[in-house]
Amino acid sequence: MQNNYRRVAALIALGIISSEPFSGPVQAEQQEELRTKVEQLDQEIKILKRQLELQKEASAEKAKTTPLLTAGAGGFSLQSADTNFVLKLRGYIQADSRFFLDDHSAGTANDTFLLRRVRPIFEGTVFEKFDYRLMLDFGSGVTSSAANDAYVQDAYFNAKLWPALNIQAGKFKEPVGLERLQSGGNLLFVERAYPTQLLPNRDVGVMVHGTLFENTLTYQLGAFNGVADGGSADIESSDDEKDIAARIFAEPFKSSDIEGLQGLGIGIAGTYGNREGAPRAYSTPGQQRFFAFRSGAGTAAAPNVVADGENWRISPQFYYYYGPFGLLGEYAISDQELRRDDGAATFGNIENRAWQVSASYFLTGEKNAFKAVNPRKPFALGGEGWGAWELTARVSGLEVDDAAFPVFASPASSANEALSWTAGFNWHLNRNFKVQVNYEQTDFDGGTSSLLQEGEQVLLTRGQISF
Amino acid sequence: MNIKIKTLLTVVAVAAALVTDSAAKNITLLNVSYDPTRELYQELNAAFAQHWKAKSGDTVTIQQSHGGSGKQARAVIDGLSADVVTLALAYDIDAIADKARLFPADWQKRFPNNSAPYTSTIVFLVRKGNPKGVKDWDDLAKPGISVVTPNPKTSGGARWNYLAAWGYALKKHGNDQAKAKDFVAQIYKNVPVLDSGARGSTTTFVQRGIGDVFISWENEAFLAQKELGKGQFEIVVPSVSILAEPPVAIVDKNAKKKGTLEVAQAYLQYLYSDEGQEIIGKHHYRPNAPSAAAKYANAFPKVNLFTIDELFGGWRKAQKEHFDDGGTFDQIYKP
Repeated sequence: MQNNYRRVAALIALGIISSEPFSGPVQAEQQEELRTKVEQLDQEIKILKRQLELQKEASAEKAKTTPLLTAGAGGFSLQSADTNFVLKLRGYIQADSRFFLDDHSAGTANDTFLLRRVRPIFEGTVFEKFDYRLMLDFGSGVTSSAANDAYVQDAYFNAKLWPALNIQAGKFKEPVGLERLQSGGNLLFVERAYPTQLLPNRDVGVMVHGTLFENTLTYQLGAFNGVADGGSADIESSDDEKDIAARIFAEPFKSSDIEGLQGLGIGIAGTYGNREGAPRAYSTPGQQRFFAFRSGAGTAAAPNVVADGENWRISPQFYYYYGPFGLLGEYAISDQELRRDDGAATFGNIENRAWQVSASYFLTGEKNAFKAVNPRKPFALGGEGWGAWELTARVSGLEVDDAAFPVFASPASSANEALSWTAGFNWHLNRNFKVQVNYEQTDFDGGTSSLLQEGEQVLLTRGQISF
Repeated sequence: MNIKIKTLLTVVAVAAALVTDSAAKNITLLNVSYDPTRELYQELNAAFAQHWKAKSGDTVTIQQSHGGSGKQARAVIDGLSADVVTLALAYDIDAIADKARLFPADWQKRFPNNSAPYTSTIVFLVRKGNPKGVKDWDDLAKPGISVVTPNPKTSGGARWNYLAAWGYALKKHGNDQAKAKDFVAQIYKNVPVLDSGARGSTTTFVQRGIGDVFISWENEAFLAQKELGKGQFEIVVPSVSILAEPPVAIVDKNAKKKGTLEVAQAYLQYLYSDEGQEIIGKHHYRPNAPSAAAKYANAFPKVNLFTIDELFGGWRKAQKEHFDDGGTFDQIYKP
């Protein structure tokens, strides 16, 4: 089209030059002929311009009703022309290996490859104010059948009334554990630390939440069915009681000029409720059980322990990020009234505690953060970029209340304390692909099984693709 | 509940209802119309708003939407919440009735003159001095002449233009459809640009300076001659043209839903009033009311007009044969 314009313009110019009053004996007929040519060319230009104008108008008109489809590192997105309907397709897959070192003793879990998380995510917005999210999980052993069944991890909507007031309902993470609130795709280590096991996972309920003071203060307050420590559920199957969960988290220097404190966040969260039903066991980073409440037929020979009464949890938490350095810590207490059935009922109250401190450092200089980190120079075969390399270390412990033994848990098969050390590295090849390698050393106090006596040494690896 | 409290609540509720009912209302209507009626409805709307305020005390605001008649009909079918439609031809309103079922199929019986408050016709607009000597339809089919007309697929006016040319050829060639088809094909060979609506074609001809002759609504030709390009254009009246009857209809379902049915009815009825007909005549549409028609009789040229029923068997038949996919227009027009 542009070339056509140029050609026609050149011809017109020639025509105009030619149509100047002729000095020689040029016939009037020739002048008229040239004038006609110029007029024709002028019309052609006008027609071409108008056609272009109409094409633009038609394109603009079409754009008003044409949905927008985008694809990129952040996933796929489909958006109606009026932006009232947005659907994003995202997801991540984690292919893990779990190899136990020195695992000749009986009772140690098998070395295995596994699909830790296989999660398609459908999320979006309708009418600008209403977000929704559906996340399924097809990972190994997510459901009790141990097959790759689909499991609903998240299914909720969120009404964004104002920044300070959102209302969210459905199934989602209870707002308590700091590491739990970190997306499964952004974890610093292959497995989360012990505090997560004392705090609730996903639950069904309704929550108000928002940000205040220029996003320096975040709050959440919700009512949920209530789940056991580390538990996740879709329905209240044990009792009529409900849990209240609340969290407040401040990043007071986020918008300040004090660069060294901008990445500091500190908060506290907790739950309160009454619970009945089976309490959950606790596991090592290699997912081997090191503590379980007594579980049997409820007879003298096989006593059974259930939660029966008040349950509260509290978790102070913080993170700190400065340049390539990151530090995260949390402490958790879970206090639960229990009942032992063995022909008679014995009541008690135990208070378990867990903590963790983890640190990370980007050797390649990326800015560390609680959320996903993008490599400055993505890895390219034969290219200059090596992705982002991050060293990680963690220490985490869990202490079971002494009062749990021997009435509520067997001192032979359960430890009363676990302490895990982790060292590893993460290789973020690009925004979408990550490799994680962790070595975990866990030692126990209490228990007579070979696992509890000898401890656990496990090498965990992960290849993760996310979009 | 205490009886006194109940009584008090009842009194408050009744009072509130009375206050609400007696208070003047703010009403908004959406008139979805065809391309060249912008100026007409601006004046009509202001006049009706005044009329309605005086009559009912309510304030009515009439929003206008304009575009090619076919496109506008499609928009209403697709959900544009029109209270009334005032389109270029009956078929487009039939399409809304058929496809969206927003009002009854016999909508044309609701207002006088088959729900057409005015008529118009198709004339030619040429440049000052008529440099190409255009006198009648035959001149439009000659080689070397550039003709501006909108796209019949989207514009109601364009369909009237097309059928006017076809009708002329039928009359000239003793109702020979093949010759009429060839004739219209020759005209469309001379069309360099197809706009989606009549107003777009006016822009093409008047403002962009494209073409030797513009096949135009009569009212649009007057507008171009008197206001858009004063002194730059001339109107040429062909020997034969078509009687165009742009109709109006209430979109019942939308109006009921919005509580505007009564005002919508009054609005369209107002088009037939003396005041409405006067404004219609003033904007170069041919009024139907005898008094306004007499007043403006000399403002319009005398044209030998045929109707769509006479030569094409009505709009549904004409649409199917000429403008539906695969119809004669698709056969003759090769961009």
